[in-house]
Amino acid sequence: MPLKGKQLSALGIGSMCAAGVIAAVRKSRENHGQQKHYVPAERAVNLGSLSAAVGSAPPVVRDVTYERILEARSEPHNWLTYYGAYDGQRYSTLEQINTENVERLRPAWVFQFSPIGLQAGESTYAFEAAPIVVDGVMYVSGWDGWVWAIDARTGQELWRYRHEIPFDTPICCGNVNRGVAVAKGKVFVVSLNAHVIAIDAETGNCLWDQVYGDVRAGESATVAPLVVKNLVIVGSSGGEFGVRGHLDAFDLDTGERVWRTYTVPKPGEPGSETWPADGDAWARGGGNCWVTGTYDPELNLMYWGTGNPSPDFDGSVREGDNLYTDCVIAVDPDNGEIRWHYQYTPHDVWDYDSNMTPILFELDGRKLLGHFNKNGYFFVLDRTNGELVRVAPFGERITWGEIAADGKVTPKIWAEREGEPVHVWPAPAGATEWTHTAYSPKTGLFYVPVIDVGANLTLRRVEFKESLPYFGADPAVDKNMQGFIKAFDPSTGEEVWRWRNETPMVASVLATGGDLVFVGEPTGEFNAFHAETGELLWQFQCGSGHHSSPSTYSIDGTQYIAVPVGWGSWVEGFAPEMAGAPHGAALFAFALAQ
Amino acid sequence: MVLWNYLRLLRPSVLKQLNPRVVALVNALPGLDRQNKAMLGRLFIHGGLAHAKKGPDGRLRAELRIPPAEFIWKPSVIVMPHGGDLDLELVNDDPWDPHCAILPSNGDKQWIWLPMLSRGRASLNLDGPGYYWFSSAIANNEGRGLIGGILVLGDVPREARLDRPPQPRP
Repeated sequence: MPLKGKQLSALGIGSMCAAGVIAAVRKSRENHGQQKHYVPAERAVNLGSLSAAVGSAPPVVRDVTYERILEARSEPHNWLTYYGAYDGQRYSTLEQINTENVERLRPAWVFQFSPIGLQAGESTYAFEAAPIVVDGVMYVSGWDGWVWAIDARTGQELWRYRHEIPFDTPICCGNVNRGVAVAKGKVFVVSLNAHVIAIDAETGNCLWDQVYGDVRAGESATVAPLVVKNLVIVGSSGGEFGVRGHLDAFDLDTGERVWRTYTVPKPGEPGSETWPADGDAWARGGGNCWVTGTYDPELNLMYWGTGNPSPDFDGSVREGDNLYTDCVIAVDPDNGEIRWHYQYTPHDVWDYDSNMTPILFELDGRKLLGHFNKNGYFFVLDRTNGELVRVAPFGERITWGEIAADGKVTPKIWAEREGEPVHVWPAPAGATEWTHTAYSPKTGLFYVPVIDVGANLTLRRVEFKESLPYFGADPAVDKNMQGFIKAFDPSTGEEVWRWRNETPMVASVLATGGDLVFVGEPTGEFNAFHAETGELLWQFQCGSGHHSSPSTYSIDGTQYIAVPVGWGSWVEGFAPEMAGAPHGAALFAFALAQ
Repeated sequence: MVLWNYLRLLRPSVLKQLNPRVVALVNALPGLDRQNKAMLGRLFIHGGLAHAKKGPDGRLRAELRIPPAEFIWKPSVIVMPHGGDLDLELVNDDPWDPHCAILPSNGDKQWIWLPMLSRGRASLNLDGPGYYWFSSAIANNEGRGLIGGILVLGDVPREARLDRPPQPRP
């Protein structure tokens, strides 16, 4: 029974008197001990100083300007921006490694950096980044706030930057980061707790740091920043926590915020008629831009995919189409205005984010945008105005609904009644995940990593609470799974070739001028395919599953293929039968054996 | 020292917070707070909590000690009222074992070697809100109990928050 009133007071006074005497004796003993025995320890130092890291990098980023990034494909020895170029094609003209000699590809070096101590998402971290390379120096981000500069010829660590991530940061899926951007002597990266940070590319020191999301609201950040003109542009994460998605632009010299654009309109703004007129559904609407956009400098338009509406599966609290969720939005980089949009899955109740790359390409003189959506359909749009040119299925099994040739969407199966499971294909991870499709202008084909897995969705309505997950249903993903790499012709929407795998394909594709298509498997193999036929030409076991974006570069005439390897993130969503596969934390660089 | 800690627990402000379920839990398995008693090591976060104090220069300060033969940080929880700079004085009072400290800080983790009976300093920069861990990362100091947390209170800056009406929280 707890003590009360006078009993407590009496005990308190008595204990304080005794405590005074004891404290005096203790203090005296401690002081005596300090004077006699204690030795000075050296002041704390950066952990990186106790390693072989050089501590600095050559000034190669100093001259990386907007003009150079515009012409990134004209310097194929570098990989200057997230997708290699603004068009998002993930294509390099490098051809030293080609169909004739790829069998001689061998590891040139391996960079390893395993986690130290505790970290947020201890069991779900993954190495997802796309390595950036500038004149022999590689810049790459890892999980949990790590960024490294690496000698791209040898794998030697040059410097490291660490942004501390609170252990309790809300994350839907995994402790991940998809990469950095570089310009004007700086390396730009976001942190999981929603900061955007400019790092000195020579020293690794922080130059400026801006907060652009609210972790108390369930926001986080995983996107690779995009540099356009003098701006660094970033999107937010948190669509599973009922946040309101946004894009933010900062001056890359000063870090000052230039604009913010929300992807869910407030009442009275254009698009607000697609949300319930009453209540706060719009304020919790989701639509996050958690994957990097693309950019057409001639049209001065960026193209960003937006994420799922919130709650993911319970549409009853957000009647309407729910703009601009599950869209591609064409955004003016000068002011953040949304010029046009195309919505792939109106009123989504399957978690079909539409962040997959809006890839820019030309066909018959027409400026087009190709996009493979989670919902299983391949879209070709006119990127000048958002008009639908073509839509065709690419997913293996699609049962949630149907999209007609004119773009009309007809939902067929969704979770309607509390506690009653319904089965749909694709599962919420989609027929393709965020990992990137590549487009080769040489073959004229798109190469898409495909997931074929379904799920039972069981409606579980919940009341919204800020910072708690806001799903509205339980997705139980099938154990029966497979994956593919499929090649598609955008002029017809037809499949040209396919390569089947026992596990879903959840890594980004890289296409090269050597008529090769590179992509890794969840079981650790890194593969090279013939771009025209789909024939598997080369394979190397990296020891952990692939969930990243490989890039290619060259130094002094030697072409390298670089791929981060480290299995993890939302494995229970895209490959539940691989949930026990080993994590990894390595970056491999391959080159031809002499 | 031990008696002093027991006496401090008799303060009315502490007694009022006693949770019968927690008391019952500790009572059910005594020795969780000793080395080589119930377990091999000691259940971590057993060294108490302290609030960092703001100095005249606006920087936060706190002291971290490692008492003799206990394998705990004391305190094992440091509270910062907001993000910013934290200056730590570290004292290894343990003549049984040298230790070290690996500490969270923006830029890079901070590392300091702490010989037996030594004093050192570290300066950290943390964002918050949220909590961060620190430890002694040698041998199995962490498993024996030398893990602690730095709790950063507060909110993100107003300009970073969402433009929406206040929302219900758990």
